[in-house]
Amino acid sequence: MERVLASLAALLSALFIANAAWAHATLLSSEPADGSVLAQAPKMVQLHFNEGVTPAVIGLIDAGGKARDVASRAVGQSILIVLPEDLPQGTQIVSYRVVSQDGHPVAGSLVFSIGAVTGAAPPAKTSPLALLIWLARIGVYLGLFVGVGGAFFAAWIGQGPSGSTVSRGALAIGLVSAVASLGLQGLDLLNLPLRAIVTSAPWTSALATSLGPSLLIAIVVMAIAWFAWQSPSILISRVLTTLAMAGVGLSLAASGHAATASPQWLTRPSLLLHGIAAAYWIGALAPLAAMARQRRDDLPRVLKQFSALALPLVGLLVLSGLVLSIIQVGSWRALIETQYGIILSIKLTLVILLLGLAALNRFLFTPAVVARDENNRPLLRSILIECVLVVCILAVVATWRFTPPPRASVAPAATPLSVHIHTDAAMFQVLVSPGRVGANDFVLQLMTGDAALLPAKEATLILSLPERGIEPMERRATLGPDGYWHVRGVALPLPGRWRMQIDALVTDFQKITLQDDLQVR
Amino acid sequence: MLKGGFAFVALSALAASSASAHVTLERRQAPVGSYYKAVFAVPHGCAGSPTTKIRVQIPEGVIGIKPMPKPGWTVEMVKGKYATEYEFHGGKISEGVKEVMWSGGKLADDNFDEFVFSSFLTPGLKPDTTLYFPVVQECEQGVSRWIDVPAGGQSGHGHDSKTPAPGLKLIGKP
Repeated sequence: MERVLASLAALLSALFIANAAWAHATLLSSEPADGSVLAQAPKMVQLHFNEGVTPAVIGLIDAGGKARDVASRAVGQSILIVLPEDLPQGTQIVSYRVVSQDGHPVAGSLVFSIGAVTGAAPPAKTSPLALLIWLARIGVYLGLFVGVGGAFFAAWIGQGPSGSTVSRGALAIGLVSAVASLGLQGLDLLNLPLRAIVTSAPWTSALATSLGPSLLIAIVVMAIAWFAWQSPSILISRVLTTLAMAGVGLSLAASGHAATASPQWLTRPSLLLHGIAAAYWIGALAPLAAMARQRRDDLPRVLKQFSALALPLVGLLVLSGLVLSIIQVGSWRALIETQYGIILSIKLTLVILLLGLAALNRFLFTPAVVARDENNRPLLRSILIECVLVVCILAVVATWRFTPPPRASVAPAATPLSVHIHTDAAMFQVLVSPGRVGANDFVLQLMTGDAALLPAKEATLILSLPERGIEPMERRATLGPDGYWHVRGVALPLPGRWRMQIDALVTDFQKITLQDDLQVR
Repeated sequence: MLKGGFAFVALSALAASSASAHVTLERRQAPVGSYYKAVFAVPHGCAGSPTTKIRVQIPEGVIGIKPMPKPGWTVEMVKGKYATEYEFHGGKISEGVKEVMWSGGKLADDNFDEFVFSSFLTPGLKPDTTLYFPVVQECEQGVSRWIDVPAGGQSGHGHDSKTPAPGLKLIGKP
């Protein structure tokens, strides 16, 4: 035993001491060169390092925004990456993570373009994964609107267990779907197969996107609603369900195309109200139907109470919906000419039908029931049709996950992205124009903490997109005659939350490093 | 006994390996108020190019710098004013070496070498902190700056620093 240990120790130390002379690998050059624009698609990419390396993860995101599988192998001090033959014209990103001989991972990205520098539109998905994502999305909506809305209705208006099976069922579906949504989103981002859901990568990746907080809020909110059903005290369940309703709005306002549209002071509150109003309405349907079927004595009172608040809330729902539609779609033509617009048109048609039914209920069937308890048949039928319509609407809305709104494809007039990073040590003002996917010019204005010009010897811009697994790319800035540092023609091929780091070398021995995020559309 | 010996060997071997990639100090821990022989290990050039110059910035509170001459290299010292006065050999000094520079030599990328000076760590330095000696390594082609110091005084480097400054952990007076 001792001999084994001793020889192990000798082996280990020999290994490590031999290593001691080696260093982290450094990328010396690449073919095609980083940032180059080529006339024709290359067959392969070669990365030349200063020592032998082992590829760990090599990824390619093509100009269409799609993650592609590539074969790679190490030859001497180089890594050869065989590219697919059908690369689209535009900017492609190769992201690499290799292991150097001392066991340290070394990562980076390089971009090259075929024809011209472009930015990729979000990829269109038509895989089984897309179907699962869609179903999970519907599940989350059911949980939020039917589940949480149902719990709210029961606590405040119904004051009884009517419709509890539906609401609790929806909550259960919603909870499972929210968790699934998160994992599926991660798989989609990283282009991983379904079985990779058991690994941590898709989860961490999805949590880093805006969908992460949104779904976490949804999960908490549905759990709160679930507890509200269990609660023996009406007061506690009222408090809990009110919190949960606010959470429904927050969850919707935290993520999605509409939440990220500008002006955000308008879109986010609109979404919040839209969500709360929708949950109020949709949540009431199942309990009302149950009460109508059971011919409950207090149905007239409940209907009256529900209608009193329903009218202003439905108004709010329609108004906020209109505001969001106008911002997102922009023109009448986009309603029929873009995929997003077509989905919206379908939704609007269904909503108009639903509003018609609701009006029928409100002004015809409800007074009838209030007048005479036996007149509940037409109301019940109408509510059931409403339920079907609602499920259809939710299913339609869930497809928005796959289409960018027309405003995203309309080139905004030249408004460069501006990022201001301020710490005690320094203040950096960064202008990115045009600030969209594609080729961008960066202007860095470096100032000291109290806004005096910061004399730097060198400035370096480092960009990465962790949510798509794009490792850092470094670009050296040059000092212009205007006193600002410039980096021209930086390819940002994908939309998303890019991580930006700026290193300013102040003296030979001192460097100031500031970081911030850059939302690229 | 042998097991203990094994653990020790493995640990020191690991320490050696983590040092391998960067310019580092050979001895990483020293008491304040004592002499310290600083040995900078340079394990490689700049991305393959041979090293031609090593510059070390002396942090405040480190005085009495005496570089060890190195055959084939010219050593130079940049002097300047200290932030405060220090007692040294019974007298008070307020200026001294702020930077040591070795130049004129050529250290191939696949060779290894050490650059040495002796110094005194003044008693006013705070124990349980890390003192950083930023190093600029100039090569025939390119420069590597081993100057990254963790932000906010936290000890140890975040793993994301590719070019950390060599650090010396200060301990209490023996």
